[in-house]
Amino acid sequence: MGMAASQGSVSSNPNVTPMIDVMLVLLIIFMITIPQLNAGFQATPPQGQNLKPHPEEDSDQVLGIDADGNYWFNKALIRQEDLEQLTKNIFTPDREDKILYVKAHKDLSYDKVLKALDLVAKGGVSVAALISEQTPGTESLVESDRLFESGGGN
Amino acid sequence: MGMSSEGGAGGGHSNEINVTPMIDVLLVLLIIFMMIIPLSRKTIDTQLPDPNPQVQSANDPSNQIVLSVLADGKYKINADEVDRAGLAEKLHSVYDQRPDKIIFVKGDSTVTYGDVVFGMDQARGAGVKVIGITPAPKDGQ
Repeated sequence: MGMAASQGSVSSNPNVTPMIDVMLVLLIIFMITIPQLNAGFQATPPQGQNLKPHPEEDSDQVLGIDADGNYWFNKALIRQEDLEQLTKNIFTPDREDKILYVKAHKDLSYDKVLKALDLVAKGGVSVAALISEQTPGTESLVESDRLFESGGGN
Repeated sequence: MGMSSEGGAGGGHSNEINVTPMIDVLLVLLIIFMMIIPLSRKTIDTQLPDPNPQVQSANDPSNQIVLSVLADGKYKINADEVDRAGLAEKLHSVYDQRPDKIIFVKGDSTVTYGDVVFGMDQARGAGVKVIGITPAPKDGQ
C-alpha cells in the first residue's frame, strides 16, 4: 500500500542536520560554562533542607573558604590579613545591603569559618548568608521559601 | 538545466522554510536555561555579632535560646542535650509556643562547619526566623 511512495526521489536517509545543530549548541554552551564553573575556587558546601533561595545578582559579594582554609573573595585568592580591609572597602556605611555570601567547605572546622565571620563583621557585614545545597529530594519546611521558589517569576 | 528533471515547482516541493532545526536549537536553549535558573543560591541567613558591642552580654535577657554544637555530633539547647536525630523534634517543642523566633548558635572549637549548618537548618525547619552567630571567643578567655 504505502510502498508505492518509496520509488521516487524520496530519500530514506535520516536527516542529521538538526541533530548536528543541537550538538553544536550544546558543545558551545559547555565550552563556555565549564571554565567559569571551575575557575579558581572550589568547595563543597554543606547540604541542608530548609534553605532560603536568593536570586544571584551582580552586586553580590561572595566569600569562599576552600577545603584547605584559603579565603577567596569573589573568586580571587586573598590573604587572611586582607579580608577585613577588603570588606571595609566594599561594605561602606552608605551601602544598603550588608549581606555577604559565604561559601565554605562542609568539613572545615567551624573555628575557621567563625574567624572569617568575625573579620567580615568588623568590616561592616551584618548578615552572612551561608551558601548550602538543597539535599536532593527535599523541600524547605518554611513556607516563605517555597513561595519564593514557585512564584519567583512573578 | 537541472530544473527539468524535478518538474519545477509543480511536484511535492514546498517553498516553506523548514523550522524544525530552529525549534530543536531553541528547545535545547530552553532546557539549559531551566537548568541554570534553579542554581540561584540557597542559603541560611545569619546575623553576625556586633563588632563593637555597647553593652556587655552579662545582662542579656535570660530567655534566650542558645544552640550549642558539641564535639561528638551532639547538640545542646540551653542546658538540654539532644542528639542529631532528635534535634528537629526538640526544637519544634521549644519554638512552637514561643513568640520570638530567635536562636543563637554556638559551635564547639572542634566541630565541623557542616554540623553547625545542620543545626541551623533544623532550627529554620522548626520555625526560627533569626539565627544569630555568637562571637568567636577572644584569646585568653
